[in-house]
This record gives sequence, C-alpha cells and structure tokens, in this order.
Amino acid sequence: MKAFPIIRSMAALTASCLVLAACGSSAKQSEAGASAKKVTIGVSFDLLNAIRQAEKAAIEKAAKAAGYDVIFAVADKDPQKQSSQIQDLIQTRKVSAVIVIAQDGQQIASSISLAKAKNVPFVAIDRAVADQQNVTFQITGDPSADGRLSATEFANAAKTKPLKVLELVGALTDQNAIGRRDGFNAALKGDPNVTVVSQVPTNWDPAQALDGTSNALQKNPDINAIFVPSDFLLPSVQSALTSANRLAPVGDPKHVFLVTIDGDQNGCKAMRDKTLDADIATPVDDFGRQAITAITTALGGKAVDPRTVQTEGLTLNQAGFAKTSPQVWGCVA
Amino acid sequence: MKSAYKWSVLALRRQPLLPVWVVLLLTLSGLYSGFGTTANFRNIAIQASPLIIAAVGATFVIMTAGIDLSVGSTLFLAAAIESSQALISAPTGVVFLAIAAAGLLMGLLNGVAVAMTRVPALIVTLASMQVFRGAGGHITGQQNIDLPAHLRGIGTGSLLGVPAPVLLAAATAIGGGMLFSRTVFGRYTQAVGSNRAAALNGGLPVRTVTAGAYALAGLLAAVASLTQTARLGAVQPSIGDGYELTVITAVVLGGTSLFGGRGSITGPVLGALVLTTAQTGLVFSGASPYVFDIVRGGVLLTAVIAAGMRWRNLAQTLRLPGRSSSGGGRMISSA
Repeated sequence: MKAFPIIRSMAALTASCLVLAACGSSAKQSEAGASAKKVTIGVSFDLLNAIRQAEKAAIEKAAKAAGYDVIFAVADKDPQKQSSQIQDLIQTRKVSAVIVIAQDGQQIASSISLAKAKNVPFVAIDRAVADQQNVTFQITGDPSADGRLSATEFANAAKTKPLKVLELVGALTDQNAIGRRDGFNAALKGDPNVTVVSQVPTNWDPAQALDGTSNALQKNPDINAIFVPSDFLLPSVQSALTSANRLAPVGDPKHVFLVTIDGDQNGCKAMRDKTLDADIATPVDDFGRQAITAITTALGGKAVDPRTVQTEGLTLNQAGFAKTSPQVWGCVA
Repeated sequence: MKSAYKWSVLALRRQPLLPVWVVLLLTLSGLYSGFGTTANFRNIAIQASPLIIAAVGATFVIMTAGIDLSVGSTLFLAAAIESSQALISAPTGVVFLAIAAAGLLMGLLNGVAVAMTRVPALIVTLASMQVFRGAGGHITGQQNIDLPAHLRGIGTGSLLGVPAPVLLAAATAIGGGMLFSRTVFGRYTQAVGSNRAAALNGGLPVRTVTAGAYALAGLLAAVASLTQTARLGAVQPSIGDGYELTVITAVVLGGTSLFGGRGSITGPVLGALVLTTAQTGLVFSGASPYVFDIVRGGVLLTAVIAAGMRWRNLAQTLRLPGRSSSGGGRMISSA
C-alpha cells in the first residue's frame, strides 16, 4: 500500500518532465521558425530494390547539397498505401514538396490534386504519371529509347554473326516493360540478321525469368542472344545459361550475346567478368539532381520549365567500358 | 490384369488430375518437337520442385480450413536470412538447419496466432506476409546478394543423375503423404478441417493440430526457398512475391477443398506438375506473353469453380434424405 504514494510522485515527476520537454521543444521550434523555415521534402517510392536505393541516394545527396531534409516512405507496390503515405506527408508532416515514384500512374492523380490544393510542389520521377496538367515537374527515363539503344547493340553484333534472340519481357502492366519491349522490337524490325525466336514474359519475377529462359533454351538450343529488360533478372538468366552449359565470356564460341538495361551492380560485375556485352544504364543521378532543382525553383515561386523531361540511358558496352563505367551508378556504388 | 485395371480405375477416381497431366504431356510432346525429351522432362521436374515442396506444406493448412498468404514472404525472409552475414559463410549443414528452424518458427507464429486468437487465418497471414517481407527487406537492404557455390548445390547438384531439387521434392511428397495418411496428426488435420466443432467436442487437440499445420507449412516454405535461391544463385528482393497464389492454385487444382477436410498429398504434387507443364508448353508454343497470364488465371478459376462444384454437390447430397450414408455433417475423406 505504501508503494502507491511513491508511484504517484514518480508519475507526477515524469509528467512534469514531459511537459517541460514539450515546452522546451516548442520554444526551440518557434525560435527556428522565426529565423528560417527548414525545407523538408517528402519522398514516396513504389518499392525498394537496387535501382530505387540508388535513386534514394541520389535524392538524399542533392537534397543535402541544397540544405533540405528528407522524409522517406515506401508503398510496397500498393497504390492505396502510397496515396495514404502522400496524404500523411502533406497534411500531417507538412512537407514543403513531394517527390514520388508512382506505383500506378493513373491512381496517383488524387495525390497530385491534393498537393496542388495545398500548394505543395509535386515531382514525379522514374515513372510517368497520367495527370500532366497538375504535376510540377516530371523526369523519367525513356524506356522506348532504352529498348532502341539495346537493339542497336544487337544490330551491330549481328553484322558479323546472325543472331537468334530470346526476348524476356517484364510485367505486362508496367509502362517501362512495355516501352522497352516496343522500342526493342521496332528498332529491329526488318533487320535480316536478327530473329526474335522466343518472347517470354517474366512479370519481373526472377524465378519466372529463370524458368522461362531454361524452357526457351530447351525449345531453341540455337538461341545465341538474349535481351534482358532489367539487370535484376540477369542472375536468373546467368543461372539458366550455367545449367545449359552456355555461360561463357565474350569471345568464347559458346558465348551467348547478352544486353540488359539499368546499369546496376549485377550488370557492372557481369561487364567486368565479360559475360555481358552491353548494359543501358539509367541516369539515376540526373533524376535526383533535377528533381531537387525543380523543387527549389517551384518553392521560389517560379514556374519549372521544361515541366517534363525524358532522359535516355547511357550505353555501356565492352568497347567503351573503361571510359563510360565511371558514369554508371552500378559501377561506382 | 483385372486387378491392375481395378487399381487404375481406383487411382483415377481418387486423383482425376493424373490423366489430365498425362494427356497434357502427350499432347504437348506430339505438337512440339523437343518437348517430349528426357532433358525437357527433367527441366519440368526441376522447375516444379520448389512449388511441390511449398504446396505439400500449404495442403496441411488448407486441410484445416485455413489459408496461408505468407508463403511467398516466408520464402523471401528465409532467403534473406540465408544471405545474411551471419550465415552466408557458415557450413552448408548449419545454414540449412538454421533456415529450416527459421521457417518452422515463422509458421509456428502464424499457427499460434490463428489457433489461440480465432482471428481469421486470412487476416493473420496477411499481416505476417507484410511483416516477413519487411523483415527480409531489412536484412537484405533490398539488394541482390549472390550466394556462394556451397549453398547452390541443393538447387543445381544431383545424386545418381537425379537433380537435387527433384530428390528433395520427392522426399517431401513421400514424407508428407505418410504424415497425412498414416499418422494421428494427419487424421486430426482432416478432422479439424472437416468439422472443427465436432473435433473440439471429441476432445481432439484442435489448437495444437492447427499450430502444427502452419508450422509445417512454414518449414516447407523455407525448404522451398533453399532450393529456389540455390537455383537462382542469388537472393533478390522480389523473390516469392505473389508466390502464395501459385501455391494455393496448385493445392486447389489438386483437389484439396478450400473449406478444409478433403484432399490428398498427391493432389498438390500433380497440381504443381500440371502448372509447370502448362507453363513450359506455353513457351514451346510461342504464345503471346499476354496468353501466359490468361492461362494462369484460367487454371486458378477452373480449379476454384471445380472445387466449389464438388462442395456444392456434397452439400446437396447431404441435404437430400436417403442419398446420404453419413447422416449429416461433412465427411472426412481418405488421402
């Protein structure tokens, strides 16, 4: 029974401390607010993988250089979750601007409208959004151009030896996957030295890429080239080639001509090992730098011009590896 | 001859998917050169192995009238633990034991939550699906991690010419079949799924059996993870994403009732083989990539409709007087 007064005293003491701490904190905040309001940028990504980590690092680097803070959220490929996260960033966390990689370019429209209503600059990177009218700035890769650049590598290689190509396709609901596929196929249309003998969907799933490649090699053992639409499917393709005893370096008669897109660490390692012929690297540093520049412009009350930018990838091939690799994010990470 | 015929008829009655698979194999072999080769059959068997292993585990859960949506995330978290600094350079046996224990623990967490709280399994495993995937992402930093050669043997090695994943899948199927039909645990699993109230009234350890079924599913998802990552040669953040649907499709296609109490172990094995054979056949046919999703979705829809019709037929039979021999309630069928 005697314990109760002691507990009550401790509780009162703790409560007093909390009140004092809160008062101190608000005093500090108003002090800071009086001098200059710190710019905080809310970032919402669709998912987190190797390329997203690089994009996150690029944003953080550019934000730090501009003196901005960053609050980061990941939507785990759920458009509703992303919408809630952006709402929370704008309304509760009171961020000054948002940078978003949209899981769904259509469904993100409500978040763009909310940002506009609250006068918060909305910057879309990597993936295009449908509501181009209300977005402050958008910078994306050009999947179709990346597909065309990949096709150029195939066309050049086919000048010395005709190629029978296995074409892997990403998720059929993903604009990047479709753009890369369409750009690749359009550029090779009519090339007599390149024949796409098999087109296999992977749904961006490494296991499906592995099984699909193994099946295609069973069906067409004379496949001598593979188009891999993302570096993260490369280990699956290499495993399938290893099982079929076909993984060999450039110059070996068994070598299967390989081109991928992204320029991540897998791709760069395979380039160094000479098992990969070319990698079309996404300019992730540009995404971060230009997004932060656009936010600075918008917060300064000026219009961002141009409002939409598409950047094509950088071709990293064996001939230019030494010169180009320092510009590829996966090679310098 | 007569007994062989009788045995065949009995086998077909028990497992109607067997002739479907055989016809599919024969048709595809006739249509496409290179399909009906030993190398391709070996290829199909290897590809089906992780799915068979995971589906056998999921069968026990679905037999209890439960569901495990965390299979894909369990697979990923097990792979992430395998690729962690603490384990990646450890001896193979230690890694395999650790991963099996981790899978068992993940399954047990699901099982205890379902059995003790009576929160629907759908909700519990939906939550754990996110927890496990998040934990896996935290361990890997969402990066691709290459596996060392000694951890790839379970996916790429062979014993007496039989690929290691196939041996593991066969051992799982045989072990699972024996556990299902020859042990008290297997019988109790069917009883719990068939009529939980009756099982409780009969004094069966319903909670223990339920927790055990989920623990087994977690263990086998981890074993499937070992074979899958060994085949891939790397741990990647998207491993197992959406895999639960494939696993459930294989189980339901194999004739296991989503309402519990009815099913077998040969069913999901054949279900996995049919799915993998169809997938391989699509590549051989040169079908448009869009057709792949249509076929996958169509197979799931067909399996669910077929399962629903069987359940309705049974319910109708039990409602009509004079047509039921059991007198009421859902029956427990044998494996």
